[in-house]
Amino acid sequence: MKTVGSRTVWSLEDVTGAIWRRFEDIPPVWVEAEVQNLRSTGGQTYFTLAGGDLMDASMNRIVFERLPVKPGEGTLVQAYGRVEFWKQRSQVRMRVERMELAGEGLLRAQVEELRRRLGAEGLLAASRKRPPPLLPRRIGLVTSGQGAAKEDFLRALWARFPADVLLIDVPVQGDAAPAAVVRAIRHLDARPDIDVIVVARGGGSLEDLMAFNSEAVCRAVADAATPVVSAVGHERDVTLCDEVADVRVSTPTAAAQAVVEDAAALERGLRAAEEIMARELARARRVAAERLALRTTALGRALRARGARAADRVDAAGRRLAPALARAAGRAPERLAAAEAALTRVARTRAGEAGRRLERSEALLGLLSPERTVARGYAIVRDAATDGVIGVAAAAEPGQALSIQLRDGRLPAVVGS
Amino acid sequence: MSEPAVPPRAGDAPTFERALAALDEVVRRLEEGDVGLEEAVVLFEEGQRHLAVCRERLAAAERRIEQLTADELPRDPGAPAEGPPPF
Repeated sequence: MKTVGSRTVWSLEDVTGAIWRRFEDIPPVWVEAEVQNLRSTGGQTYFTLAGGDLMDASMNRIVFERLPVKPGEGTLVQAYGRVEFWKQRSQVRMRVERMELAGEGLLRAQVEELRRRLGAEGLLAASRKRPPPLLPRRIGLVTSGQGAAKEDFLRALWARFPADVLLIDVPVQGDAAPAAVVRAIRHLDARPDIDVIVVARGGGSLEDLMAFNSEAVCRAVADAATPVVSAVGHERDVTLCDEVADVRVSTPTAAAQAVVEDAAALERGLRAAEEIMARELARARRVAAERLALRTTALGRALRARGARAADRVDAAGRRLAPALARAAGRAPERLAAAEAALTRVARTRAGEAGRRLERSEALLGLLSPERTVARGYAIVRDAATDGVIGVAAAAEPGQALSIQLRDGRLPAVVGS
Repeated sequence: MSEPAVPPRAGDAPTFERALAALDEVVRRLEEGDVGLEEAVVLFEEGQRHLAVCRERLAAAERRIEQLTADELPRDPGAPAEGPPPF
């Protein structure tokens, strides 16, 4: 400040400083206004608060980015902060510390109160939740007929499985929404052809999602005898409808994955089961055949060792053995043929793995081949003259010349008298 | 505690699910490897039946959609004409 003649002259800093001190006395306040001209620079997010008048405002960018519901252009908000005067530019700006969508605080309080009540009744308990069926005959879908949620759900659903859907087109926000959603859920639940109900809606503000926080909708979901899958809002929007439902997913696409199995995966599973059954049946048959062969050989040897009476005994044993062999093998062949046909079909339908499987099949066949059996210590008895295989003791005459095939070669032998 | 709050409705048990569970059981028993030939044959035949049920269900599946609006639904008898209050 200086005096020039009769005039008192202030420096600009004197003036801005004086104004700044006045602003210091204004306590922080809540204001309700519209957000406009949003932009982020450096560590700050700048915007204009607009009512009848305008005021520049700023908020720490990290705090702004982490708001549970970020306001966009034109959103009505309640903002809390201090109105500051920036001396360097003589600008007035509100430094916002907290911001909520207008009316949201009230809605949140309502939701919390209802959550407490539903929780106290046990309606949110994990023990109430039932898994949806693996493959529903018909799916009841409750959503808007025009919404993206419907399109997303159907696209994901039909990419997995050609499912049958009954869509109840309901308003998903606004005053008419809760009653319509309740009626749709009750109708679907009463229908015997509906195995699972999907409630879907895209993301939105808390106000938009309030129909799915309504007591009527929550109770309809809780009362439904049919399992309910809830896909309301996006990842961070959890509605009470989600919490009451049997299955909660974050998107309509995830809902499709929750209600049907992938058809291709199911078919792969069935083929695998078919293949295992055929393989195991073949194995059971191989084991039985080996045991039978072992017993036949032992019996023949024992009978031959008895000498003189052997011929009679061998004849008798042969007569008894033949039907026994026929019985053991008799039932199996046509089933075995079915098993082998199944194996073949499986092998054909899996072109990609065909090579590997073929090698394995060959290995299995190799195990069954006479050469492999001999290699494991068994012998094949042949007539020395005709080289025909002698399978039963009764087929051998006393004094007959034999050729016994062993692991390392042939051993000439003669049947004892 | 895991008892379902609502018993399953009679007469609408999902056939596919039961057949698949039965098929899994057959495969499990066969894979244990200690079944005799007779039992293996019986299990194989049983498995083939379950497999046929599953395949039939998959083959019958058809992409369909029917659409109704909430206003077209019959109202609950006894329900208030305007439906329950929203909150």
